[in-house]
Amino acid sequence: MTAILELHAVGFDYGKNRVIDQLDFSVGKHELVVCVGPSGCGKSTLLALLAGHLEPTRGKIERRGQSRTIYQDGGTFPWLTVRDNIENGLPRTIVGDARMTKVDEWLEIMRLKEFPDHYPHQLSGGMRQRVEIARALAAETDVLLMDEPFSALDYQSRNRMRKELVATLAERPRTVVFVTHDIEEAVQLGDRVVVLGSRPANIRRVLDLPTTRPRLPANPGVAEAEQAIMDELGLS
Amino acid sequence: MPRFLFPIATGLVILTTWWAAHALGAFPIGTVPSPPEVAAAFGEELRSFRLIDDTIASLYRVAWGFITAVVTAVPLGLAIGRFAGTRAALMPWINFFRSLSPIAWIPFAIIWFGIGDPPAIFIIFVATFFQVVLATAAASAAVPKIYYRVAQDMRFDSKQILFRITLPAILPQLVIALRVAIGVAWMVVVAAEMIAVRSGLGFLIVDARNGLRMDLVVCGMITIGAIGIGLDALFARLTKIRSLAWGFER
Repeated sequence: MTAILELHAVGFDYGKNRVIDQLDFSVGKHELVVCVGPSGCGKSTLLALLAGHLEPTRGKIERRGQSRTIYQDGGTFPWLTVRDNIENGLPRTIVGDARMTKVDEWLEIMRLKEFPDHYPHQLSGGMRQRVEIARALAAETDVLLMDEPFSALDYQSRNRMRKELVATLAERPRTVVFVTHDIEEAVQLGDRVVVLGSRPANIRRVLDLPTTRPRLPANPGVAEAEQAIMDELGLS
Repeated sequence: MPRFLFPIATGLVILTTWWAAHALGAFPIGTVPSPPEVAAAFGEELRSFRLIDDTIASLYRVAWGFITAVVTAVPLGLAIGRFAGTRAALMPWINFFRSLSPIAWIPFAIIWFGIGDPPAIFIIFVATFFQVVLATAAASAAVPKIYYRVAQDMRFDSKQILFRITLPAILPQLVIALRVAIGVAWMVVVAAEMIAVRSGLGFLIVDARNGLRMDLVVCGMITIGAIGIGLDALFARLTKIRSLAWGFER
């Protein structure tokens, strides 16, 4: 499998504060890797490094292709309508009427077609996240980086969004790095789960989850994987 | 009673009190004119077109001073807000000049620009410029970093970042700043006209006072206040623009 993202002994400091240390892992094409770890362990910093928004203090990151990041909240442009936000995400290679057709397509997929002219602040949190996801997916980049994208949502919307994400990725495969502090979410979504320890973030354990997504709590291996993560994080 | 009648009712109370106090001889003769005298002064000023000419003269100066200030202050404010070096170098000086009353500039305005519109326009400029610089700088420094990261992912160039991220992101706050600034500009033009020029509503008041025409003074004051309300209402409408509502509805 071709590696799309490769981290070689990556470290990052904020001033004297060592946030990430000696991180080594790679993400293969169309793989969904979930990084799980306690709040404040440097997960967002890791994504910013993968996106190229920050440069590593030590080590090296190899990236193949472009990426888009999906944030927890507030990444949509509040001054643009839903339609214009998504249109902003489209690659520049798509021109003319094709752009509007594409936007309509994404409005349909993300169940937003009743709201093309709404502004983000007029939508619920779940709908706003769907706009953000549509904008990122519409970009047709190879890599998607997701920074706790569902953690600002209520329990039901969160579960629905996970299912939708899995379904959308099944049709339009992407390479995804997804960070979360939610162990259940990690086990439901990941092909592989990287368990990070707290500052400086380092890899405590990597779990492979071979069964197909989305995984339900009752599926074989799910409970065991959750238990293994809890053990690793000292939560059990 | 419908809401829009409230201010009219307040106005009637003020008018009645004024009129009654005047009729009862509460004011020494020649200090406060009566409402009919003021109304007569209005009629006279309107018929001679002097009031209209003075209003146009004042608005013309405000427009020039305000527009030149905004056009220069916004780019400077953006530079201060977005670049730490520019901020460190200029911010204390912006605060220094902002603390100077625009009226303090009148002597220089007259020496540099002589008599007529230019000194008054200069005073408006000084009154508006530093305020708008400060508001723009504060707003652009507070634009969430997340928007710039999204823009970086989208491969925006610096022009696109300016016009598609920074400017729309600060626009709601900028509109509020402009609304405050136009109020100050209008207040200041009257003061400037009392000294530097021979036309405008400020001049009308000084000229009337010199002729002991208190009815004309009140006529000028009412006009200034009414136009002030009008200007504010005009700028308040900007906050109703749909693409700006996100900045006001939270």
